[in-house]
Amino acid sequence: MDVILPNLGFLLSGLATTAVLALISIVAGTVLGIVLGTLRYTSVPVLGQAAAIYIEFTRGIPLLVFLFLFYFALPALGGYKVSAYVAAAQGFSFFIGAYLAEDFRSGLRSVRPQLKQAARASGLTETQVFRHIVLPIALRRIIPTLFNQYVRLFKFTSVASVIGVSELTGRAMLVNAREFAPIAIIVTLALTYLVCCLALSSIGRALSHRFTVRT
Amino acid sequence: MNYSFDWSVIWEYRELITRGFINTVLLSLLGLIFAALLGILMGTLASVSSRRLRWIATIYVETARNIPLLIHMYFWYIALAYLRLPAFACAVLGLSIYSGAYVTEVVRSGIAAVPRGQYAAALATGLPPFAAMRHVVYPQALKIVTPSLAGLASQLIKDSSLASVIAVAELTYEAGAIEGLTFRTFEAYIFVSLLYLALVTIVSQVLMLLTRSRKSETISVSEG
Amino acid sequence: MSDRPMIEIESVSKWYESFRVLSDCTTAVGRGEVVVVCGPSGSGKSTLIKCVNGLEPYQEGRILVEGVEVGAKGTNLPELRAGIGMVFQHFELYPHLSVLENITLAQRQVLKRSKAEADERGRALLARVGLAEKERQMPADLSGGQQQRVAIARALALDPKAMLFDEPTSALDPEMIHEVLAVMSELAAEGMTMMVVTHEMGFARRVANRVVFMDEGRIVEDVETEAFFTAPESERGRDFLSKILNH
Repeated sequence: MDVILPNLGFLLSGLATTAVLALISIVAGTVLGIVLGTLRYTSVPVLGQAAAIYIEFTRGIPLLVFLFLFYFALPALGGYKVSAYVAAAQGFSFFIGAYLAEDFRSGLRSVRPQLKQAARASGLTETQVFRHIVLPIALRRIIPTLFNQYVRLFKFTSVASVIGVSELTGRAMLVNAREFAPIAIIVTLALTYLVCCLALSSIGRALSHRFTVRT
Repeated sequence: MNYSFDWSVIWEYRELITRGFINTVLLSLLGLIFAALLGILMGTLASVSSRRLRWIATIYVETARNIPLLIHMYFWYIALAYLRLPAFACAVLGLSIYSGAYVTEVVRSGIAAVPRGQYAAALATGLPPFAAMRHVVYPQALKIVTPSLAGLASQLIKDSSLASVIAVAELTYEAGAIEGLTFRTFEAYIFVSLLYLALVTIVSQVLMLLTRSRKSETISVSEG
Repeated sequence: MSDRPMIEIESVSKWYESFRVLSDCTTAVGRGEVVVVCGPSGSGKSTLIKCVNGLEPYQEGRILVEGVEVGAKGTNLPELRAGIGMVFQHFELYPHLSVLENITLAQRQVLKRSKAEADERGRALLARVGLAEKERQMPADLSGGQQQRVAIARALALDPKAMLFDEPTSALDPEMIHEVLAVMSELAAEGMTMMVVTHEMGFARRVANRVVFMDEGRIVEDVETEAFFTAPESERGRDFLSKILNH
């Protein structure tokens, strides 16, 4: 404790960075997941196939390599500069988006065709059927999966320290370099992630309980 | 785009890439074996009637999978540095314990999916509990969960790239090395991305194929 | 258009790939008329009724609803469907919406009614089908018979000119069939134009003006109700009746 307390402010602001990074990536990744999942679900020509290729590629490579693509490779290719923080946010969002896209697609597919038919029969247009029937049902059904992915993403954010983002893990390593108390620091770090992830999961459970679709 | 491609560096540094690839395969293989053993052990504990034993499994699963893999590796490599474990061993430990939690959940659900009567019937024929699990429950559970296990295996291969952070010379690490030597950033990272993609695709396809070829053995049981 | 039947089906044929599910079907439903469509399973009766509001496409012939051709390219199908209520075998209530929301969704989205207006209409219809106290419940909390009554209220909420029923009681337990048929009989008595696919021959005999008997994708008989029950013209019709009545 005597190494943690003096550095508490420093570590907590790292935790704040982690939380903001996770939140940005969760929101952006979810939006991307819905768009890509919808493109796959409706099998829009060209765009649907492009989405499929993107999803397959992203799901086939490690997160760390994906982050390196956004931090090193793409800026080198495009001749632009990007901060580690922005690269991490981009990388996480695009990475988690690919996984969420598949979850959304299976959620969208879980809606029975007869139910869509009934909605059409009442005069709803295809867009209205999607917006008011298919999407809300799919969203509710995948809340548990969604939050599993969010927890995964929260853990992922620790990898941002590797490209130099000063989030929780990065700051803990800095404190360790100064104080050299690796056991205390790493155990504290582990417990902090543990508590945050458990909290995130329990939010997910509460939401999925609240929004269960019973048939 | 002013970037001029030079893919020759890949061929030039093929030895680094080959070494990294072999290490990635070794790391993944060992990680898989230990994660499977741990997962079978804990998954079985999670399925027994003793509440105390089930708690052990629950605490393990919740702790191991809610801590980032990177921190798992740091734990062995930095926190327990005085043990002087080689980086490769730290990576295997971190990977196995982290992934073992996911395997535990899969094994538990597999065992739960085998009808209880199967275990009872095996005991009734005089098999001791361990043999009943070994010959009757596990084989059926394995068949049910093979797709999930294939998914976990590909996940573990991808996760092994984090070993590069504690200086294990696997594929991602070597990509960084080539990048440092040649500044061919894009070529190096895209090439290893494709290698991972190929490895993950092949492994998951092979595992799925194994399930399909064994499907014929399944007896269909009509319910009710 | 006063004398014209509400629904006209003229020489309609339909194929799934190379399999012919409807062959040269011709019939009509007049204003205020109740037509029961019956026949063995797989005879195409559900497919035919789903062609009427364009849920199923057909390849030959024409279907006109108040003179508008369902299968024509320029037809605004959502608009046409909004004018025809439909009730399904498995109710198809929206599982994520409350009972009242099930009834107000299309009112608000299609007819652009205000929330207050849609709620009021929804409550009135729920009271009419005897489920006034259920408006806040979720569909899964209701019995099958109650769900089907909500589905009828949902269809009526759009003030349809005609109602299509696709085996509305086939998925119900016997003790719930009556409550649904009672609502349907009431509707018929009020002069609603109805096309009903059903095996409930008692209902057909009491309520229907005409019976359309189908077999193997063809309309085999299309006669006055009494004529069908007392003296079916076709061998298949007699066969069907004897099976279903002795059941």
